[in-house]
Amino acid sequence: MKTILKTFSAVLVTVLLVSCATGPKFSDISPSIRDAMPDKGRIYIYRTAVLGAAVQPEVRLNGETIGKAVPKGCFYVDRDPGDYRITTSTEVDRHLSFILEKGQTRYVRLNISIGFFVGHVYPELVENEVGEKEIQQCNYTGQP
Amino acid sequence: MSKLTVTPSILCLLFLVGGCAFDVIRLEQIPAKLDSKNSCNISFILVKNVNIQLDGGYSRILKQGTKWNCIGRTVQGDVYKTKDQILTIEASNVFEAYIVVSSKKLIGFYLPVEHTFSVLDNPIDIVIEEFPRVQSINQ
Repeated sequence: MKTILKTFSAVLVTVLLVSCATGPKFSDISPSIRDAMPDKGRIYIYRTAVLGAAVQPEVRLNGETIGKAVPKGCFYVDRDPGDYRITTSTEVDRHLSFILEKGQTRYVRLNISIGFFVGHVYPELVENEVGEKEIQQCNYTGQP
Repeated sequence: MSKLTVTPSILCLLFLVGGCAFDVIRLEQIPAKLDSKNSCNISFILVKNVNIQLDGGYSRILKQGTKWNCIGRTVQGDVYKTKDQILTIEASNVFEAYIVVSSKKLIGFYLPVEHTFSVLDNPIDIVIEEFPRVQSINQ
């Protein structure tokens, strides 16, 4: 019985580790990240939750795939001011709609909730001070 | 009909019902036109927290001390937005929202991306300190 438990635990830990984001710690690279162009806004997207690590849907911004919802991962995009919709799809679609203004920075956290067969990943707009803090523990998965 | 055919049918039905259940919390919205030229030129500060219970079990708090600027009017009321806190309303999906106020009551939300109005079933009295909108207050 003990052997089974040990094996199961080892497999679980391995799965979690493999599923988590690899890449530089955001806190390490953030000083070198340039500001968005003055006529653009910036959207940071991150996921802190490791729960449901195997569920890593694509993240779409107005229909365009911009990254994946990797546990402990983060990335950002710069876009023109306007209306935006971030969508994640698992067994259902979940979306967040928001306005991006010129020079504005927005933080979108990808949360996970229980689903029927698999977890649901849903985007949530968070206060900048919350996003700035939480993203520090994530690994950067965007373009180098 | 044998048990062999009934059981998969029941499982299939449960699966379909279960699958649908994830998407049942829909936000009631009606199209709304924001008339921003007919701006009300009023700002206010919330004197007290406003606790909002949304359909579907979600809740939101409009924080005391936040500044709200009128950005236009809809048929339903005046539309105010703030930079002091994020306001979203949530059902199965999440929508950034501005508040709609009429006669010092919060009556619903304007969704700027959807261009729709979502009514609050029970309007909420808000305690505010009004003043003319000035440059120093960001919209």
